Amino acid sequence: MTTAIEFQHVQKSFNGNEVIPDLNLTVAKGELFVLVGTSGSGKTTSLKMINRLEPLTGGKILVNGQDTTTVPLRELRWDMGYVLQQIALFPTMTVAQNIAVIPEMKGTPKKEINATIDDLLTEVGLDPAVYRDRMPDELSGGEQQRIGILRAIASQPTTVLMDEPFSALDPISRQQLQDLVLKLHQRYDNTIVFVTHDMNEALKLGDRIGIMRHGELLQVDTPSAIAQHPVNDFVRDFFGASRAKKIYDVYVGRVGLVQGYLPKKPAVADGEIQAIDSQATLRTAFEALATHQYLAITEETQVKGYLDRQTVMTYLSTHEPD
Amino acid sequence: MQTLIQTFIERRGDLLTALWQHLGISLAALVIAMVIAIPLAIWAVRRPKLAEGLLQLTSVLQTIPSLALLGLLIPLVGIGTVPAVIALVIYALLPIFQNTYLGIDEIDDSIEEAADAFGMSRMRKLFKVELPIAMPQIIAGIRTAVVLIIGTATLAALIGAGGLGTFIMLGIDRNNTSLLLIGAISSALLAIVLSALIRWFQTAKPKRALTVFGVIVALLAGGGAYSVYANRTETITIAGKLGSEPEILINMYKQLIEANDSHVKVTLKPNFGKTTFLFSALKHDQIDIYPEFTGSVLETLVSGSHAKNLTANQTYQLAKKRLASQDEMTLLKPMAYNNTYALAVTKKFKRQHHLKTISDLNQVESILKPGMTLEFIDRDDGLKGLKKAYGLDITAKSMEPALRYEAISKGRINLVDAYSTDSELRQYNLAILKDDKHFFPTYQGAPLMKQSFAKKHPKVVKALNKLAGRISETDMQEMNYEVNVKNESAATVAHHYLVKHGLLKGGN
Repeated sequence: MTTAIEFQHVQKSFNGNEVIPDLNLTVAKGELFVLVGTSGSGKTTSLKMINRLEPLTGGKILVNGQDTTTVPLRELRWDMGYVLQQIALFPTMTVAQNIAVIPEMKGTPKKEINATIDDLLTEVGLDPAVYRDRMPDELSGGEQQRIGILRAIASQPTTVLMDEPFSALDPISRQQLQDLVLKLHQRYDNTIVFVTHDMNEALKLGDRIGIMRHGELLQVDTPSAIAQHPVNDFVRDFFGASRAKKIYDVYVGRVGLVQGYLPKKPAVADGEIQAIDSQATLRTAFEALATHQYLAITEETQVKGYLDRQTVMTYLSTHEPD
Repeated sequence: MQTLIQTFIERRGDLLTALWQHLGISLAALVIAMVIAIPLAIWAVRRPKLAEGLLQLTSVLQTIPSLALLGLLIPLVGIGTVPAVIALVIYALLPIFQNTYLGIDEIDDSIEEAADAFGMSRMRKLFKVELPIAMPQIIAGIRTAVVLIIGTATLAALIGAGGLGTFIMLGIDRNNTSLLLIGAISSALLAIVLSALIRWFQTAKPKRALTVFGVIVALLAGGGAYSVYANRTETITIAGKLGSEPEILINMYKQLIEANDSHVKVTLKPNFGKTTFLFSALKHDQIDIYPEFTGSVLETLVSGSHAKNLTANQTYQLAKKRLASQDEMTLLKPMAYNNTYALAVTKKFKRQHHLKTISDLNQVESILKPGMTLEFIDRDDGLKGLKKAYGLDITAKSMEPALRYEAISKGRINLVDAYSTDSELRQYNLAILKDDKHFFPTYQGAPLMKQSFAKKHPKVVKALNKLAGRISETDMQEMNYEVNVKNESAATVAHHYLVKHGLLKGGN
């Protein structure tokens, strides 16, 4: 496992107020790393220090082994996609022009850029013939942020930074875009640092999650490790608060995270196992369990793990007291 | 309406020239203001405190009354196009600076952050992101500036830069509504057209916009180059005050000088301004010659008191002497006519009562029904002094200048004040009574120039002296009548007179 990004004793103060005292973190190459925390926890500041939108007060950050302050700023940023919460497409440029911003600066041939634009638009389900020449204000919020993501990845950067990119979107668009991020991440095999305040989003997207509070990383671990072994009450509560208000609305994937999946595929006929998406709720799971012995929890087309009735019941009795 | 159309047709040549001048001055001012204000605003965006100061400064500049600003500029840069353009630039700075500054400053921070995060250079960010976003606001500022400039540029006529303002000044001066309307409407139309054109630039395809812009610049540059080319030969500039009379005179000057010396080209600047303004222009070598009145020299241009009741010759000699000693200028010999205050009666009334002089009025005092301008009634060198000097006991009704001629022609009054060369005297068949006690100061016209100029151009002096002692009051009335009422061109009227009196060979 090679290291993509490394924070070494990073400090940050604003006007003498220390917001990040001493941050140490390693993000592996090809990892989708989620920084999660409440507002004011320093997660966005940490993200912006990676592409030097915020200067460091102390310590250093290495990207692909190089101290970011020794790399020419523009080269550093050209190889680092950036997606903003406010989307911030350039309003006077068409969709195509927005996507072409970085490739154009890098001097990529026009033909190649145009081909890339068409590929990318098709990939996110927007017909190039229709969308190429649209202006940003002619798009819905979800469509805009798709373009925002394409703009960030158009020149295939090794790293992509995403700052709460979906927090302003409606729940359906948010889910679609989360799926899109997973798909693009798999396809381009880039390193993504994703900032959010939404624990569910973190659990869904993150290979690993870093939970921040008051400028400190409380726990850095895989989603299931955080769900099963929170280091302290804050992490437990933060995780707990992310569950749905009603039992029926809990995601079935969460049961797997918290309770752990069965150690191996049950040795029964395939007809006894019902496949169900990890984002489906317990309501759907109960219906399935009424007729099937086992559930196969899937994400995209991959099976994450298997659950039986007993596991679901244990989850309900221990973690959902209401 | 009909007179308006008629005036328009007669003056369309002049109008085109004035329009061209107006456009030239306005566009020059606009381009200069843009070149100053836009980069300054871009520079100031990163320095908010300084920008605040600059905004204040441009606002203050805008509150200076335009006339005062022009006045302030004359001692610094003289008269003509340069001070006009400077003044207009000063007015145009605020809207352009303010809109550019606010347009960029109000861009959403997240957009700026995105541009930075994608590694745009300062310049790329400016041209690709900031300026395009701020463009509608910048264009709006430029359009405000255009409307402001074109309106204010009408004042350029006051300092000899020409333009549509000449029509307006002339209209006011001659009480000619048609001229005034033509000037005002043209200026308003020009503002609307330019403003629309600029809006079109904003939406037009870049290539087409560039072509149109190129053509306009080429036309203006061509005009400028042509005027430089045209000025290659020895050029003498002769200016005149507002009105038909000076315009006729300077046309005579031009024809006489050019007939006398084929190497000299004379440029005329008719309706150039008022007395002190022309005098200052002459002093600062902006013009070479202009016709001045002996009386005006003593009253306003030179210092020192003088006795009343000077004869015409005494007035001229004193004016000439004082101009020479105080300003190193030469006042050539005056023409015959005396353009001063006068009392006039109808020719019929004059004949009936055997009137020749003002003194003769004493005999008909009881039947006099005078109607005079308020100003004349109130002046010491008007009716007040006149009554004392001639022992007259009359009371005048005050009337509007134009109305008193109407009134006398209808017999409601029988004595009016007048300027001795007014074309209305001819128009309404009036006759002037001789000022036998020399009460009114003498105002005889004569060419005024610097001594150094006179020394260098003896041929010009000789040509101009041909007019000495020529042109009577009735001649002048007749010629003013032809220009003002019959709408003949001043050049034609001047030419006719010169040929008729053998001062110029006819034919051309």
